[in-house]
Amino acid sequence: MAYSDKVLDHYNNPRNVGSLDKNDPRVGTGMVGAPECGDVMKLQILVDEETGVIADAKFKTFGCGSAIASSSLATEWVKGKTLDEALKIKNTEIVNELALPPVKIHCSVLAEDAIKAAIEDYKRKRAAREALAGKAS
Amino acid sequence: MSHFRQTVECWQCGHPAEHSLFCRYCDSLQRPTADYFRFFGLEPRLKIDAANLEKRFYELSRLLHPDRYLRKSPTEQQYSLEATAILNDAYRVLRNPVARAEYVLRQAGVESLEPRARTLDPALLAEVFELNEALEEFRGGDRSVRPALEQARERFLAQRGEIDAGLESLFERYDESRAPNVLAEIRKLLDRRKYVQNLIEQLDRELATESTDAATSD
Repeated sequence: MAYSDKVLDHYNNPRNVGSLDKNDPRVGTGMVGAPECGDVMKLQILVDEETGVIADAKFKTFGCGSAIASSSLATEWVKGKTLDEALKIKNTEIVNELALPPVKIHCSVLAEDAIKAAIEDYKRKRAAREALAGKAS
Repeated sequence: MSHFRQTVECWQCGHPAEHSLFCRYCDSLQRPTADYFRFFGLEPRLKIDAANLEKRFYELSRLLHPDRYLRKSPTEQQYSLEATAILNDAYRVLRNPVARAEYVLRQAGVESLEPRARTLDPALLAEVFELNEALEEFRGGDRSVRPALEQARERFLAQRGEIDAGLESLFERYDESRAPNVLAEIRKLLDRRKYVQNLIEQLDRELATESTDAATSD
């Protein structure tokens, strides 16, 4: 299959590969996967507690070029956004940006779900911490 | 069973042929049905008697063999070729529980789930992720992860065993109830099984290449 130039660019020079400490309270981790093709994607965000803005994002994806490019792009896009803004990122925007063919749309869905899962994880951790702090005081 | 009741006439003598392979009146070979269960004269059940299926397969192989039709009409010669092809496909599918279930689901119109994220449970995802990381190191030449990969393979084999046991009991439940929600559960387990099976095959490939490397480099 022919990949678009943008997919190749992200595939050859993936942005923000790596991982953040998942035990850091400011870090949210999203892990998603597609049962059919066996892709797994981990996307992490680091939230600035003062401003509520995503200060950093990292990913690691095992899968095809489109899955890697979709998650690479997703980390670029979430950086500098608030959680609410990041939640608005739609897989169709990823499809358009990377010119993904129909058979690779599920890769963009994975990336969108990974963002959402990372944000959920962060919020869950924050809520748990606040509940704990409430009990302590 | 309504399944068997549609009336079809024998192409030779015009008597009702009732979807059997041979006409009851003139014994001529009929146009074979493409329905695998009906072809074997079985009810469409998920649990079937493997020994009986095998026995039927050998009987039918003999009865339908094109050599038996060399002196018969061109119509029967043609039907025997078609029937032999269907027989082989049907046997391959029906004797394998996973292929059989896939066939029943396809007939019932139950499609595979959307490859939507989070249909897999997080524990399995985390395990697959770690496995991929270990495989990456392994390919990079780090032999120390080999025991971990072998353990992972054992775990996935055990998981496949659990899935198969789960399928077995769902098959029974479906045969008793014919409930569509049981088919949906079977679909889910089959998707999970495919995923686990892919992982096992991937591990087998990687572990095999490594041992050949070691064998040739000595």
